[in-house]
Order: sequence, then structure tokens, then C-alpha cells
Amino acid sequence: MAIAYAHESTADQRRANRTRAVEGRTVLCRVRRCDGPGKAGRWESFKVPVEPGMNVIACLKHIAQNPVTVDGNTTTPVVYDAGCLEEVCGACTMLINGMARQSCSCLIDEYAPLEGDTITLEPMTKFPVIRDLWVDRARLFQSLTRVKAWVPIDGTYALGAGPKESPEVQQDRYDMSECMSCGCCLEACPQFTIEPDEASWDTSFIGAHAISQARLFNGHATGKELKNDRLDELMNPGGVSECGNAQNCVKVCPKGVPLTESIATIGRQVTIRSFTRFFSGK
Amino acid sequence: MTATDGPRQSHHLLLRRLHSLSGLVPIGVFLIFHLTTNASVVWGAANTRMPGEGLERGVQTFQHEVSWINDMPGLLLIELSLWLAIGFHSILGVVYAVGGKPNVGAYKYPDNWRYTLQRLTGYVGIFFIFYHVATLRWGWSFLVPGGTVWSHEYAASTLAAALRGSYEGFTGAGIAVSIGYFLGVTCLVFHFANGLWTSAITWGLTVSEKAQKRWGMVCAGLGVGLMGAAWMALIGFLLTDPVDARALEEGMLSGAHEVQAEQDEGAIGSAEPGREP
Repeated sequence: MAIAYAHESTADQRRANRTRAVEGRTVLCRVRRCDGPGKAGRWESFKVPVEPGMNVIACLKHIAQNPVTVDGNTTTPVVYDAGCLEEVCGACTMLINGMARQSCSCLIDEYAPLEGDTITLEPMTKFPVIRDLWVDRARLFQSLTRVKAWVPIDGTYALGAGPKESPEVQQDRYDMSECMSCGCCLEACPQFTIEPDEASWDTSFIGAHAISQARLFNGHATGKELKNDRLDELMNPGGVSECGNAQNCVKVCPKGVPLTESIATIGRQVTIRSFTRFFSGK
Repeated sequence: MTATDGPRQSHHLLLRRLHSLSGLVPIGVFLIFHLTTNASVVWGAANTRMPGEGLERGVQTFQHEVSWINDMPGLLLIELSLWLAIGFHSILGVVYAVGGKPNVGAYKYPDNWRYTLQRLTGYVGIFFIFYHVATLRWGWSFLVPGGTVWSHEYAASTLAAALRGSYEGFTGAGIAVSIGYFLGVTCLVFHFANGLWTSAITWGLTVSEKAQKRWGMVCAGLGVGLMGAAWMALIGFLLTDPVDARALEEGMLSGAHEVQAEQDEGAIGSAEPGREP
């Protein structure tokens, strides 16, 4: 029977797949392998017996125990990055059936519910591959330093108590604070392209996550001290104006961060800032 | 390296925002007037000041509108500013568009299609506008099947002949031009309606998802209306017989329709807008 795979299935269809999952089945795990930075990639497939509630990480661990492909060739265990295994660190993000998501929270039942179904794993394409499914997300964190995504409290003396925060403002910021810097929004963004040259990171598109973090800290009573610095950076090449409004970011975000609202909010702040700068000179 | 460097390349945002603005004013505003004026060949059928009936009235109403526009003071200045704005919007648009990599293959969201179509319709629009202006305004008749030269004194008949490929009837090349016009205006109306929607996000007018949805309904409504006007006009001109239209326009040139209108409507006929009684 034809199964709707991730790139053509909705979350509802995937949930429905869970109820159809056949117990004791074996699925085919198709993995994009790469031996190191700059090396050519290749496909390898593994047969994996599925246990109920199994996730992609468990599937990769099973392969590591006995790394033999379907063709009978012995190979190396698949390399991948992982941390928390509960969808809060973002390290294990990869392409599953062509779409970015965390492999720890990805259940085989949702993607390959029937005997012989295939699940495809690839590394993210917007970051350089270190090995196999492991990518280097350094640019993502560099973007956060570009917009000074922090609250400035370092100093040589005690600053005392901070300003009061209303519960309403806290509530507004909470959604943005859930960002775990996983990179899904960047992977899905047609405006965010891979930049192997580190020197160009400062002028290439910064991405939805950093724009949203700028909004988060611009809305913080102490963090807003750096608001103008953040907006000035976001007015530069690679800033908020590079957004093409495809709005894929908000749809693939596993945390439901209101990324498109953040982009529009920063767009408004940048509009006001540019007029202020034009007329007052600072 | 970071924001402390201050306004590094501050023209970056200015150019981006001027690109957004130029799409709305003057290009978008002009598009609205242009398409509603074109559609006068159809809505003009209800213009009782013109003699005849149906499309005959439409052809004369359109001619009346075109003549009014050609009597505007400083028309060439208006045209020049439009051509400059379109050139600016096109060149920057291409520069911005080639920086992105559409990925509707992997992420098949309607919004992602919208993003991709915005770029595709932009490319098509550049070619279409260039062909349209070059042939019908600059008189590059070697690009028109049948070599028709558009004239503002014979607006509907020369346009109809350019669309058909000849005064006598439809030719193969004429049908190709007509299909090109259909695709061209369809692309441009989509491009404008979608651009109007995204510009509100760019400038920060519509922030919340709800506001973006609401403004999206307004833009979609405007887009459907403009699409209707554009298609209506095209159908009207395709149904216009160039030879018949030419006779009506000749009549208007000799002032016959004014007399006719006065006879038809008496005193009201002299209250025609834009003319001294």
C-alpha cells in the first residue's frame, strides 16, 4: 500500500499512521553517508526490526550494533549528533524523508508504519557536513552574536535589582524563548543558503531564529538597552530585509516559535529606527 | 564585524525599502488605473453617452479615456518616471530573486508556492512589460505580427489588430501574442496583489498572524477584482473587430459622436467630464 511520506503528509496523517503501525515489522533505513568534510556522499540502506514506539535515534543505535547494509557489506556505524533526546537541544536535527526535524522525537511508526516501508535520513543541507548525519551549526550560533541575543548585565559592580516585568510581556516573550537553535527554520528557508566561507557569514542572511531572538531581547526590560545595536545589525546586508516571506520557517519550527510575527515586528522596529536615524542622525 | 560598526552599508535597507515602495507607488497605483481604463472597452457598454450599443460604446469609451490621458500635461514626465520605476524595481528584483533557492519540491506549503510564484511572475512580468511598452508605446512594430503600430487616436482598433495579428482576422502569431498577453497580465496582477501583502510585513504594518490573514483577504479581493478587469479587457479587445472599431474612431476624430451624444441626451450631453461645455 502506498504510504504518504513526510514531504507529502500532514501531521494528522502521520499521527494516523501510528494506529496503522504493524507490530514486529522490519523497515528499510536509507541513510546518506559522507566520510568527511568535502567528501562525496553515498547512500546505504539497512534493515531494521522495529520495536513499538521506536524513534530514529534508536534505529541508528540498532544499525551501530550491526552495521551491515542490505547488500551484505559491513560498514561503519552512522555518525550523528544528539544531546538531550527530548527535543529541547536541537542537536539531532536532520532531514527525515526530505524535511528537517529532530530525529529524537521522530517515531518510526509515523513514517514507516508497514512491513518493508522505507525511511530516509539525510544531513541538513544548509550547514557543512562533518560526517554522515552530523553537521556543523556554528553559523547558527554566530548569527546570535550578530544580534547580541543576550541581556547585558556584565560589569564591575553590582547592578542591583532589574526593572519589573509585567506578566503580559513575559507571556509574549515566552513563545520566542522556546527556540532551541536547532536550525529547522534555516533548513526550510529558500532565502538561507549554505555559506562554506566563514568570512561571508556576517553579510549573508541571518535567518528567522536570530531575528526572533532579537525581538525577544528587544522586548526585555534590560535587554532593550542593546535594541539599537540589534536593529542596526538587522538593517545591514543579511538582515531582516533578506526575508522573502515564504513563511516556511514558522511551519517547520518544532517549538511553534512565532517566527513570522517576529520578522514583521522587527520589520516595524527597523522602519521606525531607520526614520529616527534619518531625521535625528543617531 | 558586528553592530558596533554602526550603519555599515546603510543604503542596503534603503534600496530594499525603495524596491518595496516602488512596486506600490507608482507601479501598483498605475497598474490599477491602467487595468480599469483597459476594461472600459467592456464597462463602456453601459456608457449611454456614446452612440451605438454594446462593444461599439465600449470602443468609443476606451478611445475617450485614451484621448483624455493623452491630453494630460507632462505626460512624458509621468511615463519617464514609470519606466524608471519599473526598471529600478525589475533590476533590483532580479538581483534579490537570484539570491534565493526555491524549495517547493521539499516544502509544499501554499505560502512557499506563493514565494516561488512571486519570483516567476516577476521574471515573466519583465519580459511582458518590455514587449508591451516596446511594441505599443515605442512603436517597435517589427515585434508585432502584421506590423501594426499602435495609435492613441485609433486606440481600440490598432490594439485589436496587434492582438489578432492583422486587421482582417486572427493569425497564428496573433493568437500567440494574445496568449502572451493573458499570461502577462495574469502574472502581473498576482505579483502586485502578493507584493501588496508581503510589503505590509516588510514595513511592519501587519505584525500578528491574524492581521496578516486579514490583510491577505483584502489583497486577495483586490487581486481578484484586478484579475477580472484585466481578463475582461482582454476578452473585450479580442472581440473587437479592428475594421469596425476604426470606423467608430474615425467618427470620433471628426467629432461626430459629440453631436450624437448631444442629440441623444440634450443638455446632459454637454456635461461630459474633462471638456468645456
